[in-house]
Amino acid sequence: MIEFVSATKIYKSILGRSVTAVEDFSLQVAEGEVLGIAGPNGAGKSTLISLLLGYIRPTSGNVTIDGLAPRDYVERNGIGYLSELMTINQGWTAESALERFAILASVPPSEVRSRVEAVIEQLGIGEHRAKKVKALSKGNLQRLGLAQSLLRDEKVMILDEPTHGLDPVWTQRFRDIVESLRRPGRTVIIASHNLDELQRLADRVAIIDRGKLQRLVSTGYDQSAETASVYRIAVVGGAERIAESFPSAVDVGGGEFEIPVANLGDLNADIARAIAGGVTFASVVPSRSVLEQQFREAVGEQK
Amino acid sequence: MTSSNLRRYGVWQFRDFIRDRGIALLIVGFLIGFTVVGPFKAMGGNLDERMSERLLGAVLLQVPFVCAFIALNGIVSNDRKLGYFRFLFSKPVAIPAYYSQVFFIYLIGFIVVCAMLLGIFSVFAGPVSPGGPLIFCALVFLSFGGIAFLVSSLFRHDWPILAGIFLGATILHSMWQYDEGIKRMILSVLPPVYELPGMIPLLIRGESVEVNSVLWLLGYSALCFVAGLLVLRRRPFA
Repeated sequence: MIEFVSATKIYKSILGRSVTAVEDFSLQVAEGEVLGIAGPNGAGKSTLISLLLGYIRPTSGNVTIDGLAPRDYVERNGIGYLSELMTINQGWTAESALERFAILASVPPSEVRSRVEAVIEQLGIGEHRAKKVKALSKGNLQRLGLAQSLLRDEKVMILDEPTHGLDPVWTQRFRDIVESLRRPGRTVIIASHNLDELQRLADRVAIIDRGKLQRLVSTGYDQSAETASVYRIAVVGGAERIAESFPSAVDVGGGEFEIPVANLGDLNADIARAIAGGVTFASVVPSRSVLEQQFREAVGEQK
Repeated sequence: MTSSNLRRYGVWQFRDFIRDRGIALLIVGFLIGFTVVGPFKAMGGNLDERMSERLLGAVLLQVPFVCAFIALNGIVSNDRKLGYFRFLFSKPVAIPAYYSQVFFIYLIGFIVVCAMLLGIFSVFAGPVSPGGPLIFCALVFLSFGGIAFLVSSLFRHDWPILAGIFLGATILHSMWQYDEGIKRMILSVLPPVYELPGMIPLLIRGESVEVNSVLWLLGYSALCFVAGLLVLRRRPFA
């Protein structure tokens, strides 16, 4: 389990100026959980990740992984880490970089070749294996970064902007790979600006801004949720009768309507009434995801 | 933490040394050596054994110092500056152990390069006994090494600081070596690298050098090295 207890990180310059990057941050991430971290630029995401990797220590409070200080945990077990900054020695080839990282990750000597080949195959790096890192495109570099994090079956994975710079095909493949990382006993942390991605991949999302945890959002739909939201419905028949079930519906054209919804129970009851009244629905989707709405409220409230 | 993974990784660290620094050291060492041997050969000087030793002494007064400086520059700070630490140290690796190994692999690489340079010298200036000169090269690396390691652990831009420390120590020693009081005290805390040049003729002739001087040089450097390890253990890396 990963635990932040009132963790605060203050950076001080030699001139005495201080910047609070993370403030009084408390959070527990369970084994088997996929946690998303979302926040605007400069919110403190990178500092949280550096704390988890033990590259920095909290100014006050505590951070632990399985009860150990992060650096101690990493030195004993390692962490599958994809950095937002692809800082791999420019003179290495893609293949030699993977071989080196496999050795450092304590992959047994007899398995290094097979593990390297497996991630090369999985991430489609085969044709680029002999290229130097400096010759790789941004997308290929990102794939190399993910490949090195998959070399060993790590218990903790931290992925910082995993789909940054990828084309749509590889964005989808990346998401499938990340989805496949979910297993009992493994904790996955994904930091991303892409709320849609976090909505799909994470169980919960920590929304942070100005170094503080603003909200912790469960990405699943909660029937008892009281938070009002807006849904978009597409109607292919009986559109003229939509107002009977949804008096506040706003016609946005093309057979689509936006309807304010207080909770999922009411929404389902209204849909059932409309169907009974002869309305035929093509789709019912949130016009904004729960996460997007929460993010706007949390970050917007601070601005 | 596992240590076997780090030992296995040593092969790659050695390759990196040769690729990133070794070739540059060979070129720089050759060029500096050539500025000493070349003019003598061009003037048709008689290269008997005694003259070879004198030329070797002149080469050793420059090449190992410049090469050690190039070899040790950025030994820790490069990974920090360039961000390479992010991926390296997400693996089960202790940062002080990683850089201790880098240090000793660089020492081996440095000696290999010096041996090659000595071979080139022998071709141009006649055969010389390699033992003494290589011991001197190792002494230069080890004397500079601990201090360079500490400075590189502390600062991102280590080479100007390192150059300042060594130049400062040499200049102040030449100015104050016969003074007493506060000046003497300042000299005593500065790196004792000024002890090195006096050892060159003794080592070339295969004679023993003063043990106290060697212990003082290596002890000072070892203390700095240990301090560097403590810095790596305690100080944030990011």
